[in-house]
Amino acid sequence: MIRTRIWIIILSVLAAVLAAASALLLSARSGSRVAQLIRDGEVIEEIDLSRVASEYSFTVASEDGGYNTVSVRPGSIRVTEADCPDKICVEMGWLSDQSAPIVCLPHRLMIRLKGSADTDAVSQ
Amino acid sequence: MLRRYLSILLIITLGCFTSCGWEAKSGEKTAEDKAEELKEASLAFFAMDTYMNIRAFGADDALLEEAQKAVTELEKKISVTDPSGEISLLNREGKSVLSEDTAALLARALELCSLTGGALDISVYPVVRAWGFTTEEYRVPAAAEIDGLLKNVDYGKIALNDSEVSLPAGMEIDLGSIGKGFAGDLISSVLKKAGVSSALMDLGGNIQALGSKPDGSPWRVAVRDPKGSGVIGVVQVTDGAVVTSGGYERYFEGEDGTVYWHIMDPATGSPSRSGLISATAVGSEGIYCDALSTALFVMGEERALEFWRERGDFEMILVTEDGRVLVSAGLKDAFTPDKSSGYEFSFTGEEKP
Repeated sequence: MIRTRIWIIILSVLAAVLAAASALLLSARSGSRVAQLIRDGEVIEEIDLSRVASEYSFTVASEDGGYNTVSVRPGSIRVTEADCPDKICVEMGWLSDQSAPIVCLPHRLMIRLKGSADTDAVSQ
Repeated sequence: MLRRYLSILLIITLGCFTSCGWEAKSGEKTAEDKAEELKEASLAFFAMDTYMNIRAFGADDALLEEAQKAVTELEKKISVTDPSGEISLLNREGKSVLSEDTAALLARALELCSLTGGALDISVYPVVRAWGFTTEEYRVPAAAEIDGLLKNVDYGKIALNDSEVSLPAGMEIDLGSIGKGFAGDLISSVLKKAGVSSALMDLGGNIQALGSKPDGSPWRVAVRDPKGSGVIGVVQVTDGAVVTSGGYERYFEGEDGTVYWHIMDPATGSPSRSGLISATAVGSEGIYCDALSTALFVMGEERALEFWRERGDFEMILVTEDGRVLVSAGLKDAFTPDKSSGYEFSFTGEEKP
């Protein structure tokens, strides 16, 4: 019985540490983070993901009559459903860093996270 | 009892792992997929006395090497230091028959000199040399020496008939002021011919874009703050060049503490003191923007504005000595000022608040 209690304490502490660590990581990654929805090269919407309180979804219509359903939750964004032929945008899952944008080529839709040093070159 | 606790803990732990780790993993995967899809090739090399970098999407290394070769060939032809270069030869002999390419480039250069009313003058080279900017052995020439050299500065006296060119005695020319800009056009055309529709070139600070980014959005080009290492803002550009001339690029300090920079006013034979400390030209062609950035710098605010209204085929960003940034109206949507740079920003055609 004492053994069981020791295990419970050890595992509880471990769980608490893990929970704290993940909470820290998540909050650090969701600092000021703005997602840009770009259709045909034009920004159609900007969403500050750090201000999203709870998950919600909306639909983006493409020029050829198709659609992408976009879901937003605190700190990240994804395409959950689309009627494009390849579904690559859906398979990309949640976007939460700047490494690569979500792209739906058939619908010419791109979702990316804006950074602060988001320039490509310096004219000088 | 233990079992129940363990399973709860397991769920919590797994929950943590899925929320922290799984997402990152899926992000990595998409990055790889994307890279494969777009295939970015890049090449950095040294040419025309500066560092050049080409990034092209949907290109291979061989194509970029071909573009580099085109630049080094151009460099050889227009070099004023390589004795075998066509312009070197012309400067030594006073007359010569140029290759078709070089003759066409010289014709364009003369057109740009005339267009800018002589604010750009390719025959100012001997003056630039007298100040030591070609060798980096800087000196302040005496007024009499400058006056003597200025007698031979006048692009209008260059006689070009097809490929035959002759210079008046004592005149020497340098196409360096448009060379990098033209190199940008040259690289663009090499890439375009091979079917590339997305590339960004940095030719020693001259930025030239072919098409847009692979995702269709414009390239974001920052403009250097002439007073520091930061930037004054960002220009969005698709298929075009952003070229900046500034006193900070090459300069020396005289014995009395005066700063002398390399941008010569062909009218005075001395470093240009127009009240501007940087001029950026934004337009569709590299050679045009390269010529204009120098010319606008020499013209100063008022003349530059007049010239901009007259031409209507380029946009500009001027930075004045007294801390103002003047942006032409056509960049209203494309230019985002960096307010933290401390400058006072205004767009032309707008009253000051």
